[in-house]
Amino acid sequence: MTIHVAQPKKSGVNRRQFIGIAWLGTLVVLGGQVLASLLKFIQPVAASGFGGVVRAGKVDEFAPGSVSLIKTGRFYLYRLENGSFLAMWQKCTHLGCSVPYLEKAKQFECPCHGSVFDRTGVVLGGPAPRPLDTFPVSIKNGEVFVDTGNPAQREKFDPSQTAKV
Amino acid sequence: MASLTNTITQSRVWRSFFRHGMPNNPLDRSLVMTTNIFFHLHPVKVNLKSLKATYSLGLGIITTFLFVSLSVSGILLMFYYVPTVERAYPNIVALQTQVPFGQLLRNLHRWGAHLMVLAAVLHMARVFYTGAYKPPREFNWIVGVLLLILTLGASFTGYLLPWDQLSFWAITVGTSIASYEPVMGSTVKKILLGGPEVGQEALTRFYALHIMVIPAIIFLLISLHIWRVRKDGGLAANEN
Amino acid sequence: MANIQAFEKGGTKTYSIVEIVRGAPTTMADKGPDNTVFAFPIVAILEVLIALGMSVVLMFIALGKNAPLEELANPLVTTDPAKAPWYFMGLQELLEHMHPTIAGVLIPTLAVLFLIAVPYIDNTRAGAGKWFGAPREKRITLLTALYAVIVMVAYVLLDNAFPVRELLRAAVPAIVAQSIIPGLIMTILAALPALIVWRSRASAREILVALFTMLFVSAIVLTVIGFLFRGPGFKLYLPWDMPHGYNPLNNF
Repeated sequence: MTIHVAQPKKSGVNRRQFIGIAWLGTLVVLGGQVLASLLKFIQPVAASGFGGVVRAGKVDEFAPGSVSLIKTGRFYLYRLENGSFLAMWQKCTHLGCSVPYLEKAKQFECPCHGSVFDRTGVVLGGPAPRPLDTFPVSIKNGEVFVDTGNPAQREKFDPSQTAKV
Repeated sequence: MASLTNTITQSRVWRSFFRHGMPNNPLDRSLVMTTNIFFHLHPVKVNLKSLKATYSLGLGIITTFLFVSLSVSGILLMFYYVPTVERAYPNIVALQTQVPFGQLLRNLHRWGAHLMVLAAVLHMARVFYTGAYKPPREFNWIVGVLLLILTLGASFTGYLLPWDQLSFWAITVGTSIASYEPVMGSTVKKILLGGPEVGQEALTRFYALHIMVIPAIIFLLISLHIWRVRKDGGLAANEN
Repeated sequence: MANIQAFEKGGTKTYSIVEIVRGAPTTMADKGPDNTVFAFPIVAILEVLIALGMSVVLMFIALGKNAPLEELANPLVTTDPAKAPWYFMGLQELLEHMHPTIAGVLIPTLAVLFLIAVPYIDNTRAGAGKWFGAPREKRITLLTALYAVIVMVAYVLLDNAFPVRELLRAAVPAIVAQSIIPGLIMTILAALPALIVWRSRASAREILVALFTMLFVSAIVLTVIGFLFRGPGFKLYLPWDMPHGYNPLNNF
């Protein structure tokens, strides 16, 4: 009977194991690269159309105290009593439903989960976690422009969110 | 007649297709299971206890059948459906009003999908209350949980395709939930929708997921699931 | 060349203990007479029968009721109510009562993790392959199911009548009213049956039965409430008494 006992190793890894680990490492790196590029690939590129600067109309078209829906930009333009403009995304901050404006109640009411917002977009009731998002408004040559590419989240209404004529 | 049958089953062509004789004896009944790709997921012999209808309620087979049936009706629907915002809805309307059996086909696909979700959920409850997830079947239970999630995913991605108000807002609400996931939420939503809102990009992506990605994974996992039942010693019913 | 001989050549010992198996044997040894039949053709026939039966059922449903198709999608106008597919209505119902991160992310994630963990929490083999195999299992299942139905219906009705969120709006930070309080209530409600079972020196299986039944039945109750009892404005109505002629069954 012969039993050969393996020689004590000099280091923890012998040549065969080292090459195995090198192969494995290479494959992991390769797989990682493939996964990373796949992730990059399925990230959407910037959308066109909605997302650019939308011309809402002439300043005079909007009476103070009125709320108008600008369909091309999917936002509400609220002209405050003092004449300044506030643009709010039509999308409910809860789960993304389009919020209709109720002229009688002078407030926004979401049909999905019953969130209620006042005319400045502040939450009056319902599950919405924050006021309606706003878009930056700029006024040039008596016309109102709204940049729908940059929705801003807010915690409460502040006059700095509006644009004066 | 008998000699003709004999000539056919003894011919070289026949023998090259089937490597066993008529499965009316133990040897050929074993061979039919081991040499046939569809049967080989099954065991050669089964315990009579595992065939009792009141034990398994047949829910696993029902779910599998619904998956096969959905694949067939889904492929047929693909002959008419075009996944673009302009054409999806008119195509569904045309399918229902002009294509012979079009409405029936769509009904079969729709109700089949709902039934498959229901059958998968009930199947899971059955496996739980019969303790059939216990060792050595832990792995297969996890495969089952994955299959349930994928079934929901398949149904959810298909929900958008008719591009009517029902599907549009259901998907808007559903994907908005994902965006509340604190770490990856908005990225996941963007990847799913291909943009900030449900639109053409979302329809394209949901279509690819619905007709190819998810069914392919489900097909693989169902095969693994059934094969693993055999490897884990058949249904748990024959343990006692 | 390394040459390890496990057995001596020409020796008399032809057996050895390889491993001691604890618990029930996985082989068919000691299991009484062989009760098996050839799978072919009996299993194939059963499968074909089930497939045919399901085809008939499916065909009757498809002939009886048309798949719904509403008007063309319009991003500017939200339908009232806007509902997710029926199997997500339980989640949408939860969303009505708490912050989306809790209802839409945390609870489903925990549910899936719990399901995956089930076979590792209960790793005994006793009672496998028998309906309600554990000693008190049937009773625990029935009582927990009853409890889940009562408690979930009560929670929805109470939170609908006295919404925590609205009562505490502006009084406490939103995270307390929308996340912490409802989250705590939900945790206590869901864990209570399991805790009671656990106090009575239960096995892991019995605790799991309480938890799974709680999850399963609550999901059914919330789904039914969300699907059948929620109408325009996502308010509670009786299914046959919806305003504006809304029929919840058209949402399938």
